[in-house]
Amino acid sequence: MKRNKSLLSEQLSKQRRSMLLLGIISLALGAAIIGQAALMAEAVNRIFVMNAAPSSILALLGSLLAVMLARTLLAHSNGRIGLSMAALAKKTMRGELLRKLAGDSAAATARGGTGGTVSVMLDAVDESDGYFSQYLPRMVEAAIIPLIMLAAVFVWHYPSGLIMLVTAPFIPIFMVLVGLKTKRKSEEKYEELSRFSGTFLDSLQGLVTLKLYGRARRQEEEIKRSSLAFREATMGILRIAFTNTFMMELIVMLSIGLVSLELALQLVVFKTMSFHTAFFVLLLVPEFFSLLKNTGTAFHSGRTSMGAIRKVEQMLGAMDGDWQMAQGDSIQPDRADPGIPVPPVIQLNDVRFHYGQGSFELAVDRLLIEQGQKIAIVGRSGAGKTTLLHLIAGLLPSASGEVLLNGRPLREYKNNSWFDQMSYITQHPYIFSGTLADNIAIDTSRAVTRSDVEQAAAAAGLAELIGGLERGLDTGVGEGGRGLSGGEKQRLALARAFLNRPAIILFDEPTVGLDVRTERVLQESIGSLASGATMITVAHRLYTIKDADRIIYLENGTILGSGSHEELVERLPQYAQLVQLQRKGRAG
Amino acid sequence: MSELTILIKAMLRERRDIAFAIAGGFVAGVGGVGLFSASGYLISQTVFAPPLYTLIVLISIVKLLGLLRAASRYAERLYSHQATFSILSRLRTSFFAKLVPLAPSMLRTRRSGDLLARIVGDVESLQHYFLRVAYPPIVLVMVFLATVLFASAYSIWIAGLLVLGLLGAAFVIPAVILRGQRNIRGRVRLHRAALSTNAAELLYGFLELKVYGKLDERGQQLRRHSDVLADEQQAAGIHLLNGQSLHVGLTYLVTWGVLVLGGYLIVNDSLAGVFLAMLVLAAQTVFEEAGAMATLPSYKQDSEHAASRLAETVQPGEALPPQPEGSLSDDAPPSVELNGVSFQYADEWRPALRDIHIRMAAGSKTAIVGASGSGKTTVLELLLKLYAPAQGQIRMNDKPLNELHESSIWKHAAVVLQQGHFFRGTIRDNLLLDEAGLSEEELQVILGQAELSYKKLDDEVYERGENLSDGEKQRLALARAMAKGGRLWLLDEPTSSLDAITEQRIYRRLFKLAANDTLILVSHRLTGLESMDQIIVMDHGTVVEAGTYEELMDKRGYFYEMKEIERQLIGEAG
Repeated sequence: MKRNKSLLSEQLSKQRRSMLLLGIISLALGAAIIGQAALMAEAVNRIFVMNAAPSSILALLGSLLAVMLARTLLAHSNGRIGLSMAALAKKTMRGELLRKLAGDSAAATARGGTGGTVSVMLDAVDESDGYFSQYLPRMVEAAIIPLIMLAAVFVWHYPSGLIMLVTAPFIPIFMVLVGLKTKRKSEEKYEELSRFSGTFLDSLQGLVTLKLYGRARRQEEEIKRSSLAFREATMGILRIAFTNTFMMELIVMLSIGLVSLELALQLVVFKTMSFHTAFFVLLLVPEFFSLLKNTGTAFHSGRTSMGAIRKVEQMLGAMDGDWQMAQGDSIQPDRADPGIPVPPVIQLNDVRFHYGQGSFELAVDRLLIEQGQKIAIVGRSGAGKTTLLHLIAGLLPSASGEVLLNGRPLREYKNNSWFDQMSYITQHPYIFSGTLADNIAIDTSRAVTRSDVEQAAAAAGLAELIGGLERGLDTGVGEGGRGLSGGEKQRLALARAFLNRPAIILFDEPTVGLDVRTERVLQESIGSLASGATMITVAHRLYTIKDADRIIYLENGTILGSGSHEELVERLPQYAQLVQLQRKGRAG
Repeated sequence: MSELTILIKAMLRERRDIAFAIAGGFVAGVGGVGLFSASGYLISQTVFAPPLYTLIVLISIVKLLGLLRAASRYAERLYSHQATFSILSRLRTSFFAKLVPLAPSMLRTRRSGDLLARIVGDVESLQHYFLRVAYPPIVLVMVFLATVLFASAYSIWIAGLLVLGLLGAAFVIPAVILRGQRNIRGRVRLHRAALSTNAAELLYGFLELKVYGKLDERGQQLRRHSDVLADEQQAAGIHLLNGQSLHVGLTYLVTWGVLVLGGYLIVNDSLAGVFLAMLVLAAQTVFEEAGAMATLPSYKQDSEHAASRLAETVQPGEALPPQPEGSLSDDAPPSVELNGVSFQYADEWRPALRDIHIRMAAGSKTAIVGASGSGKTTVLELLLKLYAPAQGQIRMNDKPLNELHESSIWKHAAVVLQQGHFFRGTIRDNLLLDEAGLSEEELQVILGQAELSYKKLDDEVYERGENLSDGEKQRLALARAMAKGGRLWLLDEPTSSLDAITEQRIYRRLFKLAANDTLILVSHRLTGLESMDQIIVMDHGTVVEAGTYEELMDKRGYFYEMKEIERQLIGEAG
């Protein structure tokens, strides 16, 4: 998808019908406001000036009530249209975010900031609500209704219209002034304000530390001090805003006063107008100004919402590049799906990858992984080991070069036919909210029996844990369920792999020592899991390395050498140093 | 609801500002009604061709009322906001004081960050209770009563109609809105929480879901959640809109009623026609001033929801027992003893410690090792009296811990927590010392001992120490403990982010400093433990082994096996 248009105009073009409807209803609403004033003036005129009994003007009173009802309903409809526009906009924005996210490569997650993404998806999208539900309807109304009112006043009595025309621009001018001045002032004081307002949260977060250092009581004073300082700073800004509002209200009052003075003079001194017209104008003038004032208020809330929409836009934009690559991956979709023989030969030709321009680059000229080989990727932290693993797995798109499976490019295979053959045990396996059984069976698309799951769990050394649980495999874990220790999570990931019986296993070994039991399980059961399968491990354990058919030593994104442990110790001083240093460091 | 009591107490303390705000609001409201009534009367008078001076007087009154209204509105805004911020300050301090005793258990859950942000938000939404819920009805009722009084001077019937309208606007419509609103808002909150949880799960489990081929399924599911949420929010919006429209409808209805009623009264000669326009405008204005009543229920409910959530957070069932008076003497290092101690966190499903027996002699050095989740940190937390053991007894200097005042333990302890907090301020602020403490030079020396000599005392520290690396944070935490000092050192993995050489340097100085003190070190590494008096090896909440380094290595048991595993680790480990 091309992003020439901004997210906002894109959203608006989708809602053109609603906007049109808003316009039509606003026209009708303007007519209703004028009708109400005219009928009201006429009714008072009949009763007061012409001494008519209410019973004789039933039709007039009836239509006044009807117009009032119509006005209420029309305003209500505009509100409803705004709300449904907001709902639609939020749905499409979230949908778009999700679509991009799902189509995005692992790069998005590698880039981090998961919390930020969730916050954009929830808070920023919700904040955008005001733009559609408040700002747009008010703006459409402001563009149409005051003009109709002005025209009506001009037709009936143009001098009042002139006064309104001259004074009206002061309202938006003052509104803008209020906005600009307070914005500048709050920017000036931004540091101060955020420091004062942050103290409370900061103190709560550090409560334990404060307690242990005997500072809790003193911090109370600190919170009070900063809250009061916050009050002073904010009141400084608000005072400006209130003063400007005061000025604006004075102008409104002055204008209304001017109009009534002019009306009174016309009525009494020049006797050029009727009571009916005068009252009609007098009814319309305050409505006119309050409409303008409301517009100003809506304008300010609209700006906040626009900021939120911009945030969504930025996030969508950031995902854009990756999305296009992911699209490229399925250029020939489903054309050929030969299925993958078990396990395939994996070959990397001239593969290049980087996370962003100018950042670290991974470059693999040629790498061949035969069927059933055990590969260990070794290197210092930041050498690109996990990135290489992701490239082999097709979790990251290569910038150039090709990953071949049995001689065919990886991208020609269906995503799922490839991932079905694979198990990936990450360093910090994610436990999904659900039962233990669900979590073990998540990695398999085939139907599995209960005893399959039990066997897999037992093979991964989870039998004892499950046996100790009242509800066994049906115990809820993950978010809202029971917490598992790091070692248990690792074993659960292993159980997933046991159940899936994959042709290829990717394993990002934990960098820290787990409990002895998990370490034992890892050491003993990985071997049986990997028999017959291709296994690629980012290795942090010597026994894994020594067991490997081949070791790939990475440094700064390039393969410096590959071979057996003994070969590399002899040939590659960097490798020998990495392995030896650690051992020496611990020997003492 | 005691949270609302706190709020009301805070409001009472600001009664001067509140009184000014109410007075301002009243004058502004009455001024508005007067302004429009006067202009209605003015225009009606012109029909009788009165002398010009009466008009001039009337017009001056209109102008004056306009000025009065704008000025008192200004005063109302100023004082009500001033009061609001003062109330917020009081709320914050009183909630902080309430949260202090609950500190560690409240912060344990994974989502503690969210919880704290929520508390901050809830306290802030309580402040709206004053601005949007508590005081507008007071002003409204006063303005209404004044208007009714004014109208009753002309016609008791019209006054009666206004009273009916007031009942509708102030009670019936808010009640109608409140009904059903609770359910809708409850559903919105529920779906929002579901969306948030699911979105987090999708993002954190992204790689796994992708490899498991479950990404599309989860994405669809999330999309459904998002759509339902948007629909529910729309329903909530419509509900609010309905209330506002009802209010507008009522305004017109009452205005119309005043017109019709006035007409009949004029025909019956019980009202002079010249007052009709005035009364109609008065009725319309007084209702327009009351527009805030339609949004009041939603603010009211938000505040009450915030209050009840705060109540849940602040009151964890039973009241905390008062702290005993016993204290630890500070001239000698304490001995520490755990006897058959078991403990389980309230939110966990299995015990963190099971029947623990540990003895640490006064002045001895002990290391606690084990995998993550084996209960090492819990031992320290129990020693600091942050939690009380479910079973067994802890003694310090042979005094049971439950006879000692918690702050007497803290006073004698130099503590480094795994997740110590760093505050916005300077390095000096973050050393958390009392004013009458060490000199500048001494502090700088301590920074040097913690390998932080390149930092100055006035260097800035951002919120949560965001401008410090993990290693710097650990060194600053160590400096903090060194500056405070104490006869009991409790160090929880204080050097896990430091390289081995820096670690060794700091440890050398630290052990010199603590030479005569009791020291307990939770260690993630098994190196450098040879000189410890005893090593406690823990696994899943139990002590599996204890002894000196040599004893444990000779035994070839659990510790030996851990050591073997560590030997196997290469690369970024260590």
